[in-house]
Amino acid sequence: MSMNPAVAQLNEVVDWFIPADIVADVEMRKQARVFLYSHVFGPYIGNTVPLALYLFDPRPGYQIEVLAAAISAFWIFPIVLRVVGHYYLLATISIQNLIFCILWSCFFYGGVASPTLPWVLTIPLLALFYVGSSPKMRLVALGIFAVNLAGFLYLYNVVGHPDSPIPENAVEALGIVSTIAASLYVAMMAMVYANALASQVELEAEMREHMATAAELTRAAKEAERAGAAKGDFLAKISHELRTPLNAVIGYSEMLLEDMAAGGESESVSDVKKIHSAGHFLLKLVNEVLDLSKIEAGKMDVHTEAVDLPGLIESIGERYRALARQNDLDFVVECGPALGKIRTDPSKLEHAIGQLIDNAIKYTHQGRITLSAGLEAGPKRMEAKISVRDTGVGIAAERFDSLFEQFNLDGDTSASKYGGTGLGLALSQKISRLLGGDLVFESKLNVGSCFTIKIPVDAQQAGEDDRVVGEAIREAEAFHQQLRRLVGRAKTEGADASGKLPGMRAAVNG
Amino acid sequence: MAKILLVEDNEINRDMLTRRLRRCGFEVCSAIDGPTGVALASRERPDLILMDVALGAMDGWEATELIKASPQTAHIPVIALTAHALASDREKSVVVGCSDFDTKPVDMPRLLAKIHGCLAVSSLPLAL
Repeated sequence: MSMNPAVAQLNEVVDWFIPADIVADVEMRKQARVFLYSHVFGPYIGNTVPLALYLFDPRPGYQIEVLAAAISAFWIFPIVLRVVGHYYLLATISIQNLIFCILWSCFFYGGVASPTLPWVLTIPLLALFYVGSSPKMRLVALGIFAVNLAGFLYLYNVVGHPDSPIPENAVEALGIVSTIAASLYVAMMAMVYANALASQVELEAEMREHMATAAELTRAAKEAERAGAAKGDFLAKISHELRTPLNAVIGYSEMLLEDMAAGGESESVSDVKKIHSAGHFLLKLVNEVLDLSKIEAGKMDVHTEAVDLPGLIESIGERYRALARQNDLDFVVECGPALGKIRTDPSKLEHAIGQLIDNAIKYTHQGRITLSAGLEAGPKRMEAKISVRDTGVGIAAERFDSLFEQFNLDGDTSASKYGGTGLGLALSQKISRLLGGDLVFESKLNVGSCFTIKIPVDAQQAGEDDRVVGEAIREAEAFHQQLRRLVGRAKTEGADASGKLPGMRAAVNG
Repeated sequence: MAKILLVEDNEINRDMLTRRLRRCGFEVCSAIDGPTGVALASRERPDLILMDVALGAMDGWEATELIKASPQTAHIPVIALTAHALASDREKSVVVGCSDFDTKPVDMPRLLAKIHGCLAVSSLPLAL
């Protein structure tokens, strides 16, 4: 629903008078807007009545000046609202002033037969517009009206009243002017109220839309979480089920190899060895899938302890030195100075480093593998850097972006050629991140690659980062709740506003 | 000759491990579930028990606790065998009274080293 630009401009003018504490409240702002329209533009219409009285009264006196002054006093209300606030008190005083204006003119110009009597109709209408859904304020408005009316009737009938000085032929003309002015005023107020209602409906629709989006997002997030958990569970189960038959394949082929070694049957040995190594390969793949699925499902536990980094690096180096030799490669371990203990999960770190060395050996045909460790001041904290550098085939620049994707093996070089599972780098990266760090690399085709694990020297600090993320999530949740609360209120207001509509139509038509 | 009780519910694994242990010179008896394992432990009085933890209704942890609760079988060392090398499994094996812990698939030389280690420790009081 788009708003007429002229109306938008007028709204801007009257909105200037609304104090800040009311602007924030949707219901109050709607009432205040109607109140302001009435007080900014109403006196122009209202003052036509004293003007007409001045013209038709042969002896115009103080009573007309008082009426004009009382009507013009309405112009002060917006300024008072802007400066002092106290909306409901102002609304009450305004209603009292309106009743005074009407009864004052009735008193001097014919009592219940006065041409200004149609204005009485505006009182309940305005009371409803100004005080909105507050039952207490409605009662107050009704009470004021009753007290005024009783006082008026007592004064007019018991104490006595002046005779109307308006000549009989002018009464009709005055009645027409007064009724037209009252109708104009009611029509204006009805339009303003309808306009306020429309913008509220618009706001509600917008809120409902936001709410629906939020609900949709929540649902989608839950769905994704469920799907992720289901996938993780499935992979864990399948991996477990795959291990049992693999145990048999590996175990029995080992037994066969033992038999063959004892019995000297050499022709089948290479076949059984193939079964055995294929079984081992499959087992490695299954283990890696299991690890990846556990990390992705958030089920991989991290057990931090004080780890002697040089000792860990040396022991890893020891383990891989022989494998490197078998492949005619030099294997060098370099530990930086002052490299002491760090707090991390040693078995996970070892696993991640092992994957990198496996890869380096796989993709290097000659030269050397260098395993090095050192400390470095990172952007936020001290970091341990563990690098695996090789003089291997290297990685083409166009593959950099997809390098950590699962099952991403070097284009023309298949898994069978290098014996890789295609999960090693992805797993190594995920473990590094699990330990609060990351895996980075640099590489040049046909020159070599260097993969570096950077992890915080204290995993507790990584935990601190998690706390910040947790706070952000809590904030998002609070926002969601606020939205839910706003929509809840918009709903009740909507019901309330639609309840008022028939009454308002009746007032306009009547 | 040392006698080993193997508690393992998977037939292939049971057959394979039984035969491989026999080849290595052990006397082997086997049980297919927890209750049978507990009963065999008390009847056969093995020198060592290899306990798969992922059994049926009564898991390996429970069976180990029962074996450790009985005065006749409490002294028998138990090596737990699990599919995953989880730190929580390792801790649990210590809590229920296992002497050692290994992961499946078994690496024969590694498992044999653990078996010999446990047997050496449990035979110490006899030697004294």
